[in-house]
Amino acid sequence: MSYKITEEGNVSTVFLNGEIDMEIREKAEQVIMPLVEAKKEVHLNLKDVEYMDSSGISLLIEAHQKAGEVGTKVVLKEISKSVLKVIMMAKLEQILNLD
Amino acid sequence: MSLNKYKEFEVNSSSLKEVRSFSREILSQIPEAKNHDENIILAISEAAQNIVKHAYNGRDTSDLMRIEFVYENNILTVNLLDKGDPAIPANIKPRKLDDIKPGGLGTFFIGEIMDEITFKISKEDWVNHLTMTKKI
Repeated sequence: MSYKITEEGNVSTVFLNGEIDMEIREKAEQVIMPLVEAKKEVHLNLKDVEYMDSSGISLLIEAHQKAGEVGTKVVLKEISKSVLKVIMMAKLEQILNLD
Repeated sequence: MSLNKYKEFEVNSSSLKEVRSFSREILSQIPEAKNHDENIILAISEAAQNIVKHAYNGRDTSDLMRIEFVYENNILTVNLLDKGDPAIPANIKPRKLDDIKPGGLGTFFIGEIMDEITFKISKEDWVNHLTMTKKI
């Protein structure tokens, strides 16, 4: 997985790509969680994420919950078809912020 | 058509990509699996992840896990075998639908994707033996 972060005001957009599984989760967590903890509004662009398993989905849930605790939000942007399928399988489309 | 193939992988999170790649290669040989392959690959990868995470509790090991594919009469059977700690079947529970927490999702996905899941513990070569089947 590689990533790119852009900043605009209080919004940090993280562009993730590749496969997000158990092996990659920690790296993704180290990128996303500090932004959430800094109370940034975090946009996760998932256009180029080809595969996400339960480890990746768990990270999305944790980031969403943490954002709620600190008074900000995580928004999922341009979600790839394969990731959307997994989010829907987990029945999280009404819970997470999908754009 | 029928098919019977297996491969062994090191038990660690770095093997999961290889597990998916092998699964993709096998499923590509089964024309009937075409519309199900990505879901089945997710189920297999989740089951392999459970071996790394639970049977070995994430610890380093030189042990291998085996993934076997059997396809016959439109039934795909995937066996996952490992030599880790014997699982406690009662603890293998999917997440409840209304329970929004990170844990148990992998088992939930497996249950959503596959038709039947059975689990056996053996004292022979392999300790944990998960069998997942799907009619395709």
